[in-house]
Amino acid sequence: MSGEPVDPLADPRDRGGPRQPLLTVRGLVKHFPVGKNILGRSTNVVRAVDDVDFDLLKGETLGIVGESGCGKSTTARLLMHLIEPDRGNIIFDGEVVGQELSLREYRRQVQMVFQDSYASLNPRLTIEDSIAFAPQVHGVSRRESLNRAHDLLSRVGLEPNRFAGRYPHELSGGQRQRINIARALALEPRLIILDEAVSALDKSVEAQVLNLLLDLKDAFGLTYIFISHDLNVVRFISDRVMVMYLGKVAEIGTAGDIFDRPAHPYSGALLSSMPAMDPDARTLEAPLYGDPPNPINPPPGCRFHTRCTAVEAVCSKLEPQLAATSTNQQVSCLKYQPGSGHSAAPPALEAAE
Amino acid sequence: MSEPMIDIRDLTVTFTGGRKPVHAVNGVSLSVARGEVLALLGESGSGKSVTLRSLLNMHPKGRTKLSGSVKAAGLDILGLSGRALADYRGKTASMIFQEPLLALDPVYTVGAQIVEGIRRHEKVSSSEAYARALALLQKVRIPSPERRLQAFPHEMSGGMRQRAMIALALACNPQILLADEPTTALDATVQIQILLLLRDLQRELGLSVILVTHDIGVAVEVADRVAVMYAGRIVETGSVRDIIRNPRHPYTQGLLASRAHDAMSGARLDAIPGSPPDLAALPPGCAFAPRCKFAAAACLTAQPDAIPVGPQHVARCIRTAELVAA
Repeated sequence: MSGEPVDPLADPRDRGGPRQPLLTVRGLVKHFPVGKNILGRSTNVVRAVDDVDFDLLKGETLGIVGESGCGKSTTARLLMHLIEPDRGNIIFDGEVVGQELSLREYRRQVQMVFQDSYASLNPRLTIEDSIAFAPQVHGVSRRESLNRAHDLLSRVGLEPNRFAGRYPHELSGGQRQRINIARALALEPRLIILDEAVSALDKSVEAQVLNLLLDLKDAFGLTYIFISHDLNVVRFISDRVMVMYLGKVAEIGTAGDIFDRPAHPYSGALLSSMPAMDPDARTLEAPLYGDPPNPINPPPGCRFHTRCTAVEAVCSKLEPQLAATSTNQQVSCLKYQPGSGHSAAPPALEAAE
Repeated sequence: MSEPMIDIRDLTVTFTGGRKPVHAVNGVSLSVARGEVLALLGESGSGKSVTLRSLLNMHPKGRTKLSGSVKAAGLDILGLSGRALADYRGKTASMIFQEPLLALDPVYTVGAQIVEGIRRHEKVSSSEAYARALALLQKVRIPSPERRLQAFPHEMSGGMRQRAMIALALACNPQILLADEPTTALDATVQIQILLLLRDLQRELGLSVILVTHDIGVAVEVADRVAVMYAGRIVETGSVRDIIRNPRHPYTQGLLASRAHDAMSGARLDAIPGSPPDLAALPPGCAFAPRCKFAAAACLTAQPDAIPVGPQHVARCIRTAELVAA
């Protein structure tokens, strides 16, 4: 790595200043129709993402965790505008995406790295052409984009003279994922969404790529959204963590709070499902029974109530709202919602006069 | 000491179907006692699944060169074929796979598949076999088992399918259970349920188990002993405690150090440089030497011997003694 670390807040493209979130997501909804009746109308919907709100601060790494079907990858795709949301707003540094900020301009600043390093590269383009492709689309000359590609290759730890002319099938999985990261950096984005980007790699290679991501974040002043099912990796790399369950946000907070003091019963169960690393302290009882329910027709009320250990009658009737329990932790659980009727809930606040 | 349930001596497996022969397993010896759980731990391409499949003699005949000996429950597995092999599979040893949706037959109900398995090996009436299938589903804790017997694999959730797969594997009361990444495709909260189920069933039935995994945490939850594989060889064997607390091979040490598990958030990870070797062009010496920070000249020329470093603890590295002193 060369040069000084870049301060994300000293970016000339910065508009709202350090306190304004880089990304503000409000009321994001995506339902997928499934099954058709005889008239061709859909009979069911998968509620993949159902009213998701969160803020992404400048320069932070936000980890998103949850089980399959919780909507974490759909959220990523919605943020990239790879699929259109049914409802909701994405505000990038104060500008509504698709209105004040054109999609073209937005995608320059937001890039994505996918899980499958092979499927996400064009097999008929050499490595340097793959990396130089997007800058050329955005009007950079071929010569300059190739120079940039070579520079990025050395930044991600691949010797440009050896690798630039190769094709994706000639590289190992770890090397291909480095290429995907270099390609994501080619447009000098401010935000990179990493959707299970290290999940397919072997452990020894995964550690190398995680180190690379940390280095690049400093060097380029990046903000990351890091989606993974591997809680150890999320804990390691994230500043804040968002836990999702069946299309809803269960809890958001700092990595320290979520991992050491999880408030939502689901977060706690998810964390204690991690295999023990101590042969003398093996897990004796599974924290949850059964599989996550189908996101088609999710349970009414709190979606987690069918598996929750703190469930009470009210949980199947009332849907909890995401609300702050402290300055930097938000939880969506009736246990914390004043006056919800759950026995552990604080009493209702007096209505303001 | 009684005869081990599984005994593999100097197994080599070479796949000759491609342009260059691929040396997937290069001299693996291991044994598993009755009622013992051994985890084979390694990264992709380390030969762990190939070793496991040799125990059911599953490698395609024309394209595989096998040598060494594989004994299970007193039988010479590599010598079995035809009817004798079919009798052995499922009855003495059976296997559960990573992806139950691919391993189960999509066009038969779960019940029909279990009944077929039972009636292939034992002379029982179909109603008796059905009763046993029902008891098996109860044993693997599938809710409303009567209904699930009539279900097709695609109608079940991932965790339920893996439970059905385990029921099928246990249908004929085998002595040996081989599990190839049984929880890798499952979510975290389901994975731990399946691991606990495997642990309970293993104890209850006194099974000898070989569990293939890339996840140290999975090995810790279930296994008594761990064998760490790299480039088709076992580089270190020991009890779970030895491997976790006192790893002696530089690869095992590197693997444990590079995990994000208890690393300081934001600090750099202690990664192993480089990538695993090409199995079609293995170096003459220790396969890990090119990535090893302790490698000496002697490491590059000859295969290291297995060196005992403790009771039941063996590391295949010529520098273990020096590294401890250092």
